[in-house]
Amino acid sequence: MTESSNNKIAIVGNPNAGKSTVFNLLTGSNQVVGNWPGVTVERKEGKFVYGGIKNNIIDLPGIYSLSANSIDEKIARNFIVKDNPDLIVVVVDAVNLERNLYLVTQILELNRNVIIALNMMDSAESIGLEIDQNKLENILNIRIIPMVANRGKGIEELKKAIMEYNGKFHDEFDIFKNDRINNDIKEIENLINPYIKNFPPRFAALRILEEDTDFLGLIIDKDIFKDIEQIKLDVENKIGEEIDTYIAEHRYGYIHGLYEECVEETIDINKRITLSDKIDKVLINRILGIPIFLFFLWLTFESVFKIGNPIAGVIDTVFGFLGDKSGILLAAIGSPEWIISLFKDGIIAGVGSVLVFFPNIFIMFLIFATLEDSGYMARAAFVMDKFMHKIGLHGKSFIPLILGFGCNVPAIMATRTLENDKDRIITILINPLMSCSARLPIYLMITGIFFKSNQGAIVFSLYLFGVILAVVLGRLFKTLFFRHKAVPLIMELPPYRLPSLRTVFQGAWNRSKLFIKKAGTIIFTGVVIIWLLSYLPVGVSYAGEGSLISYIGKFIAPIFTPAGYGFWQASVALLFGVVAKEIVVGAFGTLFGGTDNLGHILPQYFTALSAYSFMLMSLIYFPCIATIGVIKQEAGIKWALFVVVYSILLAYIVSILFYQIGNLFI
Amino acid sequence: MVPLSFAGIGEYTIKSVRGGRGMRRRLISMGINEGDKIRIIKPAPGPIIIAKNNIRIGIGFRMAKRIFVI
Repeated sequence: MTESSNNKIAIVGNPNAGKSTVFNLLTGSNQVVGNWPGVTVERKEGKFVYGGIKNNIIDLPGIYSLSANSIDEKIARNFIVKDNPDLIVVVVDAVNLERNLYLVTQILELNRNVIIALNMMDSAESIGLEIDQNKLENILNIRIIPMVANRGKGIEELKKAIMEYNGKFHDEFDIFKNDRINNDIKEIENLINPYIKNFPPRFAALRILEEDTDFLGLIIDKDIFKDIEQIKLDVENKIGEEIDTYIAEHRYGYIHGLYEECVEETIDINKRITLSDKIDKVLINRILGIPIFLFFLWLTFESVFKIGNPIAGVIDTVFGFLGDKSGILLAAIGSPEWIISLFKDGIIAGVGSVLVFFPNIFIMFLIFATLEDSGYMARAAFVMDKFMHKIGLHGKSFIPLILGFGCNVPAIMATRTLENDKDRIITILINPLMSCSARLPIYLMITGIFFKSNQGAIVFSLYLFGVILAVVLGRLFKTLFFRHKAVPLIMELPPYRLPSLRTVFQGAWNRSKLFIKKAGTIIFTGVVIIWLLSYLPVGVSYAGEGSLISYIGKFIAPIFTPAGYGFWQASVALLFGVVAKEIVVGAFGTLFGGTDNLGHILPQYFTALSAYSFMLMSLIYFPCIATIGVIKQEAGIKWALFVVVYSILLAYIVSILFYQIGNLFI
Repeated sequence: MVPLSFAGIGEYTIKSVRGGRGMRRRLISMGINEGDKIRIIKPAPGPIIIAKNNIRIGIGFRMAKRIFVI
């Protein structure tokens, strides 16, 4: 690549081949990487500057072939085919070279500029694969750069190769030129030639013969499917099998020959039982699988408390100190009373009460990132497959649900990997019931006051309750709106690996820094508005009777009396929590003067029963504006509104039922 | 010939895939073809895990019923 600075470089490859890792190395960014298929579900763009020349790098979701099944795959496929990237870097997993070459051959048929980043060379070596890179380069006639991307190896060579790329198309790549259906392919080429949009005729003809029906519109202007059908029938008669199978066989035949030529297996890998396989015998075990999964979940919460709480306590003390000192300091320099109140009651008490929980949230993300990077994520999908079938979904839908424990927004995006659109909608609709990290501060604040002795168990019960509700509703939505058969599950299981410390910390930081960012933006704004409404009208006692906020709260509060928390402060918290759930905590902090005071003030308003009822409400009602926004983007306005309505109604009903029934027993 | 869903741990050859086109194409692109030698690492009940070289693929029970091995 030389003078132009608007080069478009696409990074493609099989799922889990390390595309995002290569992307991060090239662009210096920190996109989320993970050890399971489906981490990247949208195109991510970045810049890569080398010797003063800027290049646009596009990281794409993983694909096994140019035939796309799900939305994420279509995003990748359409970009390669329609957006005319100047250079395609195919990241190839050296360990599974043969399978990866399937995609490579299809891409080479496009006659575009291609470089192969042959990744995971260390793993390939360790299992006794000797890859003759020069031979492979010569036969395919493209540059191949060996890499160990997760250790940064080979990146300089790849950068150089990209910059040195001379822009010359490789020779026409054609594995069918000596085949007995060569003339039939030609016939189709001639037929479609006048209608193809910017594609090599052979490429287009092969896609058609590979039965890539939804692809036709992308490559051909006119519907000439009927004429093609006749040729296909003729060929199938001649070869005695279905044409797409024949082509796949031929493709693999070619690849196998190539593989034999260039790779030496020093160990019989097909007989090898790996450590991964042994671990799987336990983790995916029919009887142990689900208990182990639940154990991991329980362990997560235990660590969140046992490790997080002491650190959170320190931060709490610091905020308390800051609150006192800032008040004194501001008074000393003669600040007006309202500025002192804004800092002390608004910002420090409000934002501070949310930020206190940063250690807990960071630890949770740390554990999630560890599970993701270890390769367990894909297994969880399998373990839960049978369970998920009970709600008419399959295991793959479980991954977006687990991701929902982090944040519902990326979790809903992750449904793009689901092949069936109805499955996808159901998975989106129930996702907000997964307790995201924004609900965690609410649980932590309340359990820390009302359920001190069994905090872990109580929080765990809320997470579990959300999951159970999701299952019940999933079943219900399926019977109500989508009567369809579940799509069969097929998913690659990446080998387990020791999570890399860097990846895990980076992943946890990427996610928890959003929490800090939120604290400085949305939560800050919400809290300042609550403060202002508590301060006005001037002269009223702060957040007391007669303040504007008390009128707003009192207007709503009676609705919540049957649920056990009919005091106006709770209504204010829930009202502002619509924007982001952390604000629920921020609101209590602002209204009651910081976390220091919550411990003795809240018990005057809540009982343990009504406090739990309030947590149920916080779990279920209106997820947050961002989540509704992403549901609208992924499923349409109709479903977004549906989620708004059902979540509010359900939350109200569940909360009241819980409180009223609980009252009978207490 | 037995469906994958009823085969025990061991080595097999895939004889036929009696699924729709989409399912067959999916398996092919993931590196699983008719005629391939595979191993069953985890048999039914529940999802089945098969191995071909270094590839490990999990297949749901209902889908496994339509893949015949010998």
